[in-house]
Amino acid sequence: MTLKDFLNFLNKNTETIIEYTGNHFTLVLSAVIISLVIWVPVGLLLTKSDKWAARVLGLANTIFCIPSLSMFAILVTIPAFGLGRKSALFALILYAMMPLIRSVYDGAKNVDRSVIEAARGMGMSTARILREILVPLGMPIIFAGFRVTVVMTTGIAAIATYIGERNLGRFISEGLIRSNTPMMVTGALIISVIAIGLDTILGLIEKSIVPKGLRINR
Amino acid sequence: MSWENFRFALFEKAPEALFEHSMIVVITITIAILISVPLGVLLTRPKYKGLGLVTLNVLNVLQAIPGLAIIALALPILGLGMKPAVVALLFQSLLPIVRNTIAGLIGVSPDVKEAACGMGMSQRRILLEVEIPLAMPIILSGIRTATVYVVSIGTLAALIGAGGLGNLIMGGLALFRPEYLLVGAGLGAIMAITLERSLSYLERRITPPGMRVS
Repeated sequence: MTLKDFLNFLNKNTETIIEYTGNHFTLVLSAVIISLVIWVPVGLLLTKSDKWAARVLGLANTIFCIPSLSMFAILVTIPAFGLGRKSALFALILYAMMPLIRSVYDGAKNVDRSVIEAARGMGMSTARILREILVPLGMPIIFAGFRVTVVMTTGIAAIATYIGERNLGRFISEGLIRSNTPMMVTGALIISVIAIGLDTILGLIEKSIVPKGLRINR
Repeated sequence: MSWENFRFALFEKAPEALFEHSMIVVITITIAILISVPLGVLLTRPKYKGLGLVTLNVLNVLQAIPGLAIIALALPILGLGMKPAVVALLFQSLLPIVRNTIAGLIGVSPDVKEAACGMGMSQRRILLEVEIPLAMPIILSGIRTATVYVVSIGTLAALIGAGGLGNLIMGGLALFRPEYLLVGAGLGAIMAITLERSLSYLERRITPPGMRVS
């Protein structure tokens, strides 16, 4: 395989590449949005009870350990899910549980107790403390979790090609079956570039949203 | 679903796949530890401190590459079989261990090191008898992360002919035999969870009582 093969493949298959990339992004985007809607409130709720926090984080940890291919395979055997987007989405949401809940919980727990007390002393309601103190001050840690979730979801979404998703992973799976190296390498490179790009961009945002006083000097 | 298929998958196919999978994990993690821990130690020595950030950044980028992509990239370069799979997995299991080794060693309180120095310990002895034992829980937690990762991506190694539990899952998906899927996926999940649990137990055991975070 040479550079020429690679460019040739890109040229001939531009439409497919765009279609697969689009599919990839819609899957990742919907998974991340649903995960945020579900897991951020759960993470915040868990700061109320240490007992439940330990249980739920333990469960999330266990789920996170399950190999992604195994997770997809297990979901496929459940009739309600079957092959396709429903299984893929559900698995991705389950994986996002660990990084999101963990970071929201840690972020909110890390906020200095005295700041919260001061806010309460000023007469702030619990909801306002949450909105104006816990979330902004916990943001750096929460955002780090968000970054991990996005990059991880992009990677795992590629594996969903084995349960019928038509996304960038398809180039790799098809390329392997047909021993079409340019196809496989193109797929792998596109996914890698997207994942590294997302990681870098989110990393830059992560640095810029940390309040000055909270920055750690290295 | 049939009992016949299930039994065949569990008793005829699974033992070999499980053995291959364990081999991949054990070999990869052993090599990863042998590379990463010395690398982490080296990067915390005053002489090489400047290299630390660069190395971490490079490993960070490698870590962001999705597992499926790294397996796919290994094939044209390294060929089929278990060796390419191990090399591919190795690339991504280095980061957690190196990062945690560095974090653990930096976290050792300077007072303790100074006390050891004042007692007349050589640099070498300080490293072996003070720094590494104190950093061990954190290093071990990096090893745990890497292990779970290798078990997980190891299922994809079947794609480039390394065998393992991925073979059962891929076979199950191709033939649509749910029994194969359940056996392969279930064993993979059990393996990952068991390793995670036992390593975190070990981690807790070797943490000195005074250092435990409640």
